[in-house]
Amino acid sequence: MAPLPHDDIYQLVREPIDMAALARHVRAPEDGAIVIFDGFVRNQSRNRPTLFLDYEAYESMALAKMREIGAQLHEKYRIHRVVMVHRLGRLQIGETSVFIAVSAPHRAAAFDACRFAIDTLKRTVPIWKKEYFEDGAVWADGELPPAPGATPRAKPAS
Amino acid sequence: MLLAPPRIARYNSPVPPVSQTIRVKVLFFGRLKELTGHAEDSLEFADAATIEQLFAFYAARHPELAKYRSSVVASRNQEFAAWDTPLRSGDEVAFLPPVSGG
Repeated sequence: MAPLPHDDIYQLVREPIDMAALARHVRAPEDGAIVIFDGFVRNQSRNRPTLFLDYEAYESMALAKMREIGAQLHEKYRIHRVVMVHRLGRLQIGETSVFIAVSAPHRAAAFDACRFAIDTLKRTVPIWKKEYFEDGAVWADGELPPAPGATPRAKPAS
Repeated sequence: MLLAPPRIARYNSPVPPVSQTIRVKVLFFGRLKELTGHAEDSLEFADAATIEQLFAFYAARHPELAKYRSSVVASRNQEFAAWDTPLRSGDEVAFLPPVSGG
């Protein structure tokens, strides 16, 4: 995969995400559009009031997968800069857990890339959330990342 | 510890054949971490083994783990890996429940 532009940002953080600063970071004179995805903590899950969420990650792999998504974005879409930040630890209702911003000369590529980024992140990046309610806590239902099937090379050689 | 009958990973690799000690780091996340009671383990064994056999080893110690086998994916050195992937010494293997970031 091609190397990522050095002015992209891929991060896991434990503090509140500074969305305004990150949005400014992707904005450049040659661009004409920025699309932002701001994912934040909902106050309920299946009609049960949520108290807060705890996020954890397999950090080294999560960052590698986020950078892989970034590389795919640059391959697939005519975009300029990408910012992709996920927060870990305890998050309260309304706090931003994931922030993605994509700049591009034209809006269509920025919309498409941002959508692809969040959808792929939710499916393939090893991050988990535990939801806390008045009467207990559960690990959120997640998606099983697509894993390779049986490896032919593992067969005994003849 | 004997995981399984000796099996050689005969692919393009400088890994020594059977009868060498293989040491792997094993990571558990989410509910798997809670089930096994640890986030990280280190395991040494004498025979070639696959990721599947490694999981079976932990499932034998923590029977509830077996229930989750179909909803777990494995990674080897930070890449998603097939269950029949042979382990090499120094590998970092992780067992990952369905992901729920975002």
